[in-house]
Amino acid sequence: MKKISALILALALALTCVSFASAETGSVYYLNFKPEQAQQWEELAAQYTKETGVPVTVVTAASGTYEQTLQSEIVKEDAPTLFQVNGPKGLATWKEYCADLSATKLYENVKSDDFVLKQGEEVVGIAYVIETYGIIYNKDLMAKYIALENAKIKDVAEINTFDTFKAVVEDMQARKDELGIVGAFTSAGMDSSSDWRFKTHLANMPIYYEYKADGIGDTAAIKGTYLDNYKMIWDLYINNATCAPSLIGAKTGSDALADFVLGEAVFYQNGTWAYGDCINEGMTDEQLGMLPIFIGVEGEENQGLCTGSENYWCVNKNASEEDKAATIAFLEWCITSDTGRDAIANKMGFLTPFKSFDDGYVANNALIAAADEYIAGGKTSVSWNFPTMPSETWKNGVGVALLNYAQGTGNWDAVVTAFVDGWAAEAAAAK
Amino acid sequence: MANEKSNLKRSTRVANGILSVVFSVISLAYVYPLFIMLVNSFKKKAYISRAPFTIPLPGDANWTRMFVGTDNYATGIQKTEFPMAFVYSLVITVLSVFVILLCCSMTAWYINRVHSKLSKGVYALCLFSMVVPFQMVMFTLSKIANVLHLNTPLGIVVIYLGFGAGLAVFMFAGYMKSCPIAIEESAMIDGCNPVRTFFSIVLPVLQPTYVSTAILEAMWIWNDYLLPYLVLDLKKYKTIPIAVQYLKGGYGSVDMGAMMAMLVLAIVPIIVLYLCCQKYIVSGVMAGAVKG
Amino acid sequence: MEKAIKKWWPLFVLPTMAAFAIGFLVPFVWGLYLSFCNFTTINDAVFTGLENYVMAFTDPSSVFTHALWYTALFSALSTVIINLLSLTVAILLVRGIRGTNIFRTVFFMPNLIGGIVLGWLWQVLINGVLEKYGVTIVTNEWYGFWSLILVMTWQQLGYMMIIYISGLQSIPEELSEAASIDGANAWQTLRHVKLPMLMPSITICTFLTITNGFKLFDQNLALVGQNSPNSQLMALDIYNTFYGRTGWAGAGQAKAVVFCIIVVAIALIQQKLTHSREVQQ
Repeated sequence: MKKISALILALALALTCVSFASAETGSVYYLNFKPEQAQQWEELAAQYTKETGVPVTVVTAASGTYEQTLQSEIVKEDAPTLFQVNGPKGLATWKEYCADLSATKLYENVKSDDFVLKQGEEVVGIAYVIETYGIIYNKDLMAKYIALENAKIKDVAEINTFDTFKAVVEDMQARKDELGIVGAFTSAGMDSSSDWRFKTHLANMPIYYEYKADGIGDTAAIKGTYLDNYKMIWDLYINNATCAPSLIGAKTGSDALADFVLGEAVFYQNGTWAYGDCINEGMTDEQLGMLPIFIGVEGEENQGLCTGSENYWCVNKNASEEDKAATIAFLEWCITSDTGRDAIANKMGFLTPFKSFDDGYVANNALIAAADEYIAGGKTSVSWNFPTMPSETWKNGVGVALLNYAQGTGNWDAVVTAFVDGWAAEAAAAK
Repeated sequence: MANEKSNLKRSTRVANGILSVVFSVISLAYVYPLFIMLVNSFKKKAYISRAPFTIPLPGDANWTRMFVGTDNYATGIQKTEFPMAFVYSLVITVLSVFVILLCCSMTAWYINRVHSKLSKGVYALCLFSMVVPFQMVMFTLSKIANVLHLNTPLGIVVIYLGFGAGLAVFMFAGYMKSCPIAIEESAMIDGCNPVRTFFSIVLPVLQPTYVSTAILEAMWIWNDYLLPYLVLDLKKYKTIPIAVQYLKGGYGSVDMGAMMAMLVLAIVPIIVLYLCCQKYIVSGVMAGAVKG
Repeated sequence: MEKAIKKWWPLFVLPTMAAFAIGFLVPFVWGLYLSFCNFTTINDAVFTGLENYVMAFTDPSSVFTHALWYTALFSALSTVIINLLSLTVAILLVRGIRGTNIFRTVFFMPNLIGGIVLGWLWQVLINGVLEKYGVTIVTNEWYGFWSLILVMTWQQLGYMMIIYISGLQSIPEELSEAASIDGANAWQTLRHVKLPMLMPSITICTFLTITNGFKLFDQNLALVGQNSPNSQLMALDIYNTFYGRTGWAGAGQAKAVVFCIIVVAIALIQQKLTHSREVQQ
């Protein structure tokens, strides 16, 4: 009995101080932001480990929880060695953790300083993907509409202002049975898997035009000059969709995708990252096109798609030297080796800002091609200003107000308040 | 007796019959959600939120459109690594419950038989910890767990012992109050040391309390989400609730099909276990409640 | 004997207490201290006094004050509803009607299913039904509220029922028989004989339902998610403040302290109240 109890005591004590020695060689822990490509990253990491023996762990945060996950992971002893920030605002939060990358092949290969985040002379964040969003549309259904009698347009190129677009959308909605669709737009889901399309990406439009009018690139106090335009486009989305506006609170990103790929809706606001999802669900390149988001601002005929990046790689400064070196080596391998470039350009479908991809590894798909066409046609791309949004709390506030407005449980004034006053409050709180 | 039975009023029998029917209907309604979940786990993901109550049957139009066989299970298992999550959940639950039972019954015996300040203090703290919400300690606890390397399925057992001690000590102490002390005393007089006394005399007497405490603690640990989510090294270890919640991820990709399939996989083993040892579980809860 | 056992404390008490210190005591005290500090990670805490508490209560979005009364209301209502229903079911199921065992089995089953799993399961169902009426679970805070009540009732009814049944079965037959001989009808027997005898069970069940209601997290997270701040109970709000709002970790800890005080106070008051009634009976 004594022996047993001694054993148990020893076990209990041993349990309280279990500890594992960490490996001496460096390893990589990548906290990935983009769930769409989670699997491809994991595959690429496994390949790298197979080639070099360096362990690479990829963890992907669920949508809308990246900051949360990073917050809890970064203080751990086994913290991510590689993480992402979304731009200057994100950098401000995480600057203490960002190592200087100026002496790496990553920075050497970046096409311009537009794609890096700097802190003084130090290069602390490097964008790895350039993305474009707009209103994705189903070309087959569009052709079917144009072929209808009295269609509002004869060619899709005629859609170059909000008014034309609105006329087309409303006409489609009115003749949805003729077209065999359920609604012109996919559901504007406000579930957290989908609400970022509106509280972040769509909200970029009024911010972009306000910055442009005022000649600024960031502000502590947004005026909301173009919020009426925001309302016009939001009304158009919710009133001409596959579901009633009162139901969008429960609609997820998958619901919207399903609406689109099943041919039940013509328009789907999303970006180049959605290409894989559409193809996997059985659509073809020929069916996919993208339109700019027109919100009824003077001179928008020349407006193109929204292009930019909110994905900057940062290497954790506080990681051990071995881990830092291993992380940088992994990234360099990703953007220079054939395997890495193939995975990033072809499997993930990323258009990167790196020179090393120019010889044969330029991602190309129907949505990226659409973006290129607009640029070739002399249209001005809309820049991504949403990284200047003051905080997640601000976005959530706008999202809730948008949802309440759509459901009829709130009015538009609440959106304006969340947008303008919320911005000031959150900008002040961040200081 | 026979006389009494026939005396049972006819109206009472009728009332009981009606009650049986009413309860049968309610019982069916009670399991209906589980049934719908099972049906949905075989449906194409696009149709789960569109038509949650539609049951595709072979031969009708919905069958070919909605039915996907076990596809959802395949994707779900692949995405969540469900078998591993199951193993981790099992290991954590079994080990934690074992350690909690052993350590806490010993502690409870000690504080019951030794009337010192230490005993009183320990008991008071245990009571207090039962009421304190987890949010109070979650942030610091996850930090401590990380520093002490308790972020593994083995290490988390320590945390569960610490956090589950309150309830267990309380239950054991409650039961021991009513246990006669005489046998223990005579054993000790016969030369048994306290350890031997505990294992040979006290432990067998405590058996019913072991069962009910084990059930209560196991129900809590098996289903716990936030504590392991904050404590465990999620790169390596996920329990079932974490794996399920993880499916709600991805820009635009709540895969409801995989979700439903994983819910089924999460629930089925529990229901099977429950149906097998129902007697113990129910009497365990009863005993636990009476002592509580 | 006491003396003999006493020296064995390192074996009997130490392992539990060491784990208790790691898993509860140290985090608790440290958390209490941090609630008076400004910090983003745990290593850079600076003492700031009551600032966090002020921040929590004066937050312009007033999520915390909303969560406070919302949680209190939820907890109170769910306690009443669950206890009334489970007591009713228990009383009906001790009559020995046909199928009693099956009914008990079915009612108890949901207890074994975890909150996250339950929440997801019900979200699909509830939204499926609500959609027919053109609303969703997040249309306003009351849909989320009643959904939570429904789910919690579904889950906890069986558990409380079991406790009440065991309470009812421990009432000696003679008491009710004596009452009916004295001419009391079923209701009077229940009100004046059985209920007083059931007081210990009622104490336990109300205690469990109240604290469960206050501490509810998993179901809340899975059912209404994080996108609807008005449907968030305190536990979820605290979690979101900690991990979802940069610079608010201190305020989150302060909220947690307030939350903790409330729950402990309620538990104490509730215990006092029902115990004093038990003694009176």
